[in-house]
Amino acid sequence: MLEPISTVSLCTGYAALQVFARSRSAISREAQDVRKVATALVDSAELSQALFGEKVAAVSQLRALANECAQQGYSGDKDAGIDPLAVLIAESFLRALPDGIPLPEFASEPDGSVSLDWIQSQTRLFTLSVGITNRLAYAWLDGADKGHAVARFNGESIPPLILEGIKAITSHGNIALRAA
Amino acid sequence: MATLPSGLPDRVGDDEDLARFLTQSSHFNAFMAKPSAFMPSPTDRKTSVSRHGSDPSDAFWALGRQAAGGRNLHGAAVFKAHVVRSAQLQVLADEPPPRHAVITGWPWLEKDPELQKAKQKELASQIASRAALVLI
Repeated sequence: MLEPISTVSLCTGYAALQVFARSRSAISREAQDVRKVATALVDSAELSQALFGEKVAAVSQLRALANECAQQGYSGDKDAGIDPLAVLIAESFLRALPDGIPLPEFASEPDGSVSLDWIQSQTRLFTLSVGITNRLAYAWLDGADKGHAVARFNGESIPPLILEGIKAITSHGNIALRAA
Repeated sequence: MATLPSGLPDRVGDDEDLARFLTQSSHFNAFMAKPSAFMPSPTDRKTSVSRHGSDPSDAFWALGRQAAGGRNLHGAAVFKAHVVRSAQLQVLADEPPPRHAVITGWPWLEKDPELQKAKQKELASQIASRAALVLI
């Protein structure tokens, strides 16, 4: 069974840096420069920690969903729960999402895949299916525009067309989507 | 037109309300049923629905509990039959059980299951975009 993971504290060692960055005792020019660098490092670390924490929470949600489906079976039908390999690929996908991209909602699919959904409204959404291969099926609605495509995921970087599609749906702009 | 044991006509009318009962919390959010809720079963290539009005009456939820078959029933996505047909899918009466119907005609591409899935998700998204979420 996949275990949900708790948010990890990254503060060991960083605490001393934080104290130095926030202190007002440095007087010399060199000390002030060092304090500026420390402040920038702390700010960066805090931003990373916040983003990392969100992804950890998302991975936990994904694993909880997989466990729920394994116990219940699929909605109203006689199909299997989420395939553990699909969960692992979905986790890789989440980790590969660049900072600043909203994290998706999750849903089970009747063939054992997991759906990653970016939903702005009923008529503005991007839905991605992660199964047991590295080919990802996706579709979108954007008002009257709609479409679908398949892209290959190498486990490390999000396929550009998928990233463009997610951005188009989640941004306030109205960037036209293109099929692969 | 022939009549089914439930008393409904054997052809599902365009203006009939259909309900897809929701037994998984991941299949809806605060305001809509997600596309995944409408995806077809890989075993029979159909999506089960119930023919019923949009009013969440006792009879409606009794139908839902029957469809859930012991699983948690969270609510339903309710939509008109013509929404299915406008997505180039079919909806057919399929009794028993009473009032049961199925969405059929989903794309099926044996040689490219991922492209098949992408096409299905687009169609499921179209239905989801026009379905009303009714929670218990």
